[in-house]
Amino acid sequence: MRLEAFGEVLRLGLVNLLRNKLRTFLTMLGMIFGVGSVIAMLSVGAGARREILARIQKLGINNIIVHSIKPPEETKTDTQEENRWFAKYGLLFEDRELLEATCPSVDRVLPINLVKQPVWLGSRRVNAAVMGVLPEHLSMFHLAVARGRVFNEVDAQERKQVCVVRRGLVEDLQLLDDPVGMQVHLGNESYEIIGVLADARFRSHTREALAIDEHAQDVYIPYTTSMRNFGTMTYIQRAGTQEMSSVELDEMIVVAKETSLVRTTARMIEAVLRHNHKKKDYEIVVPLLQLEQQEQIQSVFNAVMIVIAAISLVVGGIGIANIMLATITERTREIGIRRAMGARRNDILLQFLTETAAIGVVGGLFGCLFGFVAVRAVVAFTGWQALTEPYYVLLALSISCLVAIAAGIYPARRAARMDPIGALRYQ
Amino acid sequence: MLQGIELTIHPGEFVGIVGASGSGKTTLMNIVGCLDRPSAGRYVLDGEDVSTLDDDALSLARNRSIGFVFQSFQLIPQLSVLENVEVPLYYGRRSRATRRARASELLASVGLSHRLRHHPAQLSGGECQRVAVARALANEPALILADEPTGNLDTQSGEDVMQLLFELHRAGRTIVMVTHNPEIAARLPRVVEMRDGAIQRDSGALAEAGR
Repeated sequence: MRLEAFGEVLRLGLVNLLRNKLRTFLTMLGMIFGVGSVIAMLSVGAGARREILARIQKLGINNIIVHSIKPPEETKTDTQEENRWFAKYGLLFEDRELLEATCPSVDRVLPINLVKQPVWLGSRRVNAAVMGVLPEHLSMFHLAVARGRVFNEVDAQERKQVCVVRRGLVEDLQLLDDPVGMQVHLGNESYEIIGVLADARFRSHTREALAIDEHAQDVYIPYTTSMRNFGTMTYIQRAGTQEMSSVELDEMIVVAKETSLVRTTARMIEAVLRHNHKKKDYEIVVPLLQLEQQEQIQSVFNAVMIVIAAISLVVGGIGIANIMLATITERTREIGIRRAMGARRNDILLQFLTETAAIGVVGGLFGCLFGFVAVRAVVAFTGWQALTEPYYVLLALSISCLVAIAAGIYPARRAARMDPIGALRYQ
Repeated sequence: MLQGIELTIHPGEFVGIVGASGSGKTTLMNIVGCLDRPSAGRYVLDGEDVSTLDDDALSLARNRSIGFVFQSFQLIPQLSVLENVEVPLYYGRRSRATRRARASELLASVGLSHRLRHHPAQLSGGECQRVAVARALANEPALILADEPTGNLDTQSGEDVMQLLFELHRAGRTIVMVTHNPEIAARLPRVVEMRDGAIQRDSGALAEAGR
């Protein structure tokens, strides 16, 4: 019976709202924007979190990446007296040994020998980055094979001519058959493809952020094989100019023992390298710091969105309160009639609260729709990731319902407290 | 406003209350209709002293024991004729099916079966007042309180409504009616005349005294 009575009240409320559709819609607008921004905020926030996680996985939170870079042009004149016929710069084998030996917070240092070499398959050619890495490198960066296998210690020790390629390369080579077991040429040597990596599918923005596109054509070969076949010399021929350079260590990944030691380790690396190198021919990238920076930006964004959502909801609530007050004034006689017919104060209160709650729920539903559209728009315009969980809808609906009821309390109480005699006489 | 009022209305009576504006008849009506409480004194309605009831209990008393007919009809414009008649039944916590059936039956008894789905604005004044009478009867109240029921109607419609009230009276209903119209007052079995917050003349009291 109580439930039936509530159903009646709800029906009455909905009938009253439908009677004045435009006004109801305008009343809901604030709610719609408020709920929409809540949904958008949550979705974009969750998307960003997922992206950060992907980034952590990609770069490794405990890692510090040190690249060799060519020193600025001006320093070249300084070295001219040495009169080398090739440029020698970058990280030294010694740097790696020194770091492993002196730095207690370093777990290990993974060297990378990077060679820009085209990959040939018969007459087809694809430009690729050939990375000579230790066997553990692949597992450290969660690079798992989709088919075939990764290379192991034995391959490394025997300096086997094997390679692991990315799916992107397979696509670029236009291979339709199973690439595992095929022979490709890198430089003067022939290598057997032993594995194809399972590339995680990223959306465009993540791809950009993680610079995955650059690595789409990566070819991994054992470090030892790479050192034997390519050595430290790089020969680049561009239109009209030739350049020879010698870089002992193209890149090294310093793995800290714990995440909490990453900052200290980074400072130590900086100190060691500054001591060993006259020129700044290296670059230190700390993913952890980048992530923290990104998280900071994210938290600022979240704070802004929360404020926007809160303001919209408050404004929406005020809008509802305002319209309800107007409605109650307009319906004073109705209230008087109902009271004369035996409605108790609580009946009137419940009637108007149900109407505002219905505005809240319906407004919340429209708000969710608006939110979905807004998320789509944000994703389309900024390339950010978004993740909308189903429970956001429930959360947004309860928020809007609560705000609407809170906004409706004062007008409903005012309606309930009207003097029936005065209300009946109201013109 | 009111001073030294002593008025007894027996079941089945049709009492007219007349008096100039400011004579206190509206206040008397409000108290009799349980819309207001006397600041002093007692009001016994249908055997129950309602002068000390709280707001909720008074609402219940109105719902159960009073049927209002107002000068300006006081129908809810957003609701259909049928729904308007259902309002007192709704607050009497009747089920929906019961309400529907009872309201249709009442509207049929005032000759408005063909108007159930209409809204008050689509009806003539006389029809509106008949809807109001049907609504007043919804909960079988002990007392029907009519406040100038013919005041907003043309002569013919007013006469129709008066006929309806007389019919109800003949059927045994208790009716109290406020009126300005001396012609109508003259046709009522008992007339109470108010002046300056007091009863100046009560034909029923005379009749009783003469009995």
